[in-house]
Amino acid sequence: MLVLNFLRYPKQLINELLIGDWLIIILSLVGIFYLFQSLWTSEHAARVQISVGNKIYATYSLNQQREIHLHGKLGDAVISISQGRARFSQSPCNTQYCVHQGWLSHAGQVAICLPNQISLELLGERKLYDSLSY
Amino acid sequence: MKPIQIQTTVDDHRIAKLAAFAIALHMVEAVIPSPLPGVKPGIANIVTLYVLYQYGYAAAAWVSILRVFASSLLLGQFLSPTFVLSLSGTIFSLGILWLAFKFPKKYFGPVSLSILAAFAHIAGQLMMVRLWLIPHAGVAYLVPIFALAALFFGLVNGLITSKLLANDGRKMVNNE
Amino acid sequence: MRYLFLLLSLLLTGCFQEPLYHSQSYVFGTLVDISIYGEKDERARFLANNILADFQNLHKQLHAWKPVSGNKLSELGELNAAISAGKKPTTVNPNLANMLLEAADLSLKSNGLFNPAIGHLISTWGFQRDEFSAIAVDEAAIKNLLHAQPRMTDLVIKANAIYSTNPTVKLDLGGYAKGYALDVAANYLRKQHAKNALINIGGNVIALGKHGDNPWRVGIQHPRAPTAIATLDLADGWAIGTSGDYQRYFMLNGKRYCHIIDPRTGYPAQQTQSVTVLVPPQASNKTQAGVLSDVVSKPIFIETAANRNAAAQAFGIENFMVIDAQGAIFVSAKMVNKLHWVDAGVKFSTLP
Repeated sequence: MLVLNFLRYPKQLINELLIGDWLIIILSLVGIFYLFQSLWTSEHAARVQISVGNKIYATYSLNQQREIHLHGKLGDAVISISQGRARFSQSPCNTQYCVHQGWLSHAGQVAICLPNQISLELLGERKLYDSLSY
Repeated sequence: MKPIQIQTTVDDHRIAKLAAFAIALHMVEAVIPSPLPGVKPGIANIVTLYVLYQYGYAAAAWVSILRVFASSLLLGQFLSPTFVLSLSGTIFSLGILWLAFKFPKKYFGPVSLSILAAFAHIAGQLMMVRLWLIPHAGVAYLVPIFALAALFFGLVNGLITSKLLANDGRKMVNNE
Repeated sequence: MRYLFLLLSLLLTGCFQEPLYHSQSYVFGTLVDISIYGEKDERARFLANNILADFQNLHKQLHAWKPVSGNKLSELGELNAAISAGKKPTTVNPNLANMLLEAADLSLKSNGLFNPAIGHLISTWGFQRDEFSAIAVDEAAIKNLLHAQPRMTDLVIKANAIYSTNPTVKLDLGGYAKGYALDVAANYLRKQHAKNALINIGGNVIALGKHGDNPWRVGIQHPRAPTAIATLDLADGWAIGTSGDYQRYFMLNGKRYCHIIDPRTGYPAQQTQSVTVLVPPQASNKTQAGVLSDVVSKPIFIETAANRNAAAQAFGIENFMVIDAQGAIFVSAKMVNKLHWVDAGVKFSTLP
């Protein structure tokens, strides 16, 4: 009954709203717009592709908790997958740039360990770009 | 042996009656299929809001906590993930209602409170989902959808509540 | 349940195949990434392998500090040995002589900021190694080398015979060879009538044709985050190159020392995090896009803020982006419309 009344008098419905209500509605819309912008523009990755030397070593789902031990040119490296992200957690290289890159979570992100010749690339439905200038 | 008598007050009866009404709405909603899992209108919150305005914050908190426990028992979901999500969402929205109820009433009506409570509800649930059920960065992906649904249903529920209050809801509840 | 929905959305990853061949290899002491579109897989593999073989040969010819096979130095290494021994002219392959002539010309255009003759300075800083770590700065050695002023104009190149009037010249084509290799690969593919390819050598990228119906799209690395800062479309024949202080560097007492050395001070350039240049196709009798994409980013990187525009203009480069040591972003007027920022809220200034 009540709801039907509402549909019959849309003007009445609008009149219910106070100035603060309008303020909250507008702020909410702006906030939601930003949420869509920030959370939907860069795609979360679904898989990580690991390359060792010239070969693709394997592709793993990011939807798991896992440590992968790999043997690169210099020695043993450890790659961790956890909570939709992946990273180098141990590497035998001197510079440790790869480890310092930290967690990767978006499709198209890469971490390359040149000395040990191991690289990670996160894959998603659609890549943001074909290749990276670095 | 004499049966144990618990002294109940008028207030207790009223809370029980209102909670029963909220539980009924909760049940109705539980059987209505949702277009998107997790997105629900939350019509039981209309009762919480109504009670808040008519009988104060303590009564509203009682009604909504009772509703969460009783509904989950009735649906056989007690202590299940659904129950925990429902409880965390309710605690969050009670928190925000406590705060928002202190806003000047001249500017902020039931619609404001309803929208804020809906946001808090979804925030509490999603936080639980992220921390406990799906510790996965992908959860962030769902946030905007749920926020949009919260705004829409919060607005509708708020409008219904203010209409109820305007129509002198006391009579209606007594008629139930 | 809500989490079922999430799982579903995660499972719905696209599965359709497109005629894209992709290979990754470590050549040149860096990662070489070749994408070829629209060729049969077998043919694409054949083309990619030939390109990689060419790169391997170039690497063997140009390696600046390591014997390439057994105790044998690279051709460039032999030339360097002869220069520092003060010997008479050494005859080299014509392609090396041409590279050095071109590099000398580019060095002049850059007012000496691109200077492949400062190999001794680079090794003093410890960057002529596969693995490098913080070193004690040898100030005396740097002072001596600055005083000796090794320059490309010290080289005398006549009919493939080369000598140097300055024995402190040590050639290091680190800022040139990758770009040169891009041009070699692009020319090879054009000759083979492969129309669509994207070649990336250690971050220097050249495009041929398109990726299907769309242009090739390239990301530009954020200098301080493991992600792209912006993307842009790379049209047929265009090349892009980025020089950063984040690829080869070491930290010493909280200060960053990167591999890009200012020949005027002998010290690593300090006021820049990264420079990206975007280069259009060049006339066939001019320096090619690949080489320019490698070379031109260096003088812009080293120059002071006021002179960056001039440094780019000296090479006719209109599209470039600079991120300075404070993280402020400057984009040339022409480049602004080409960039798609990954973070839409990013703040940048447009250079006049």
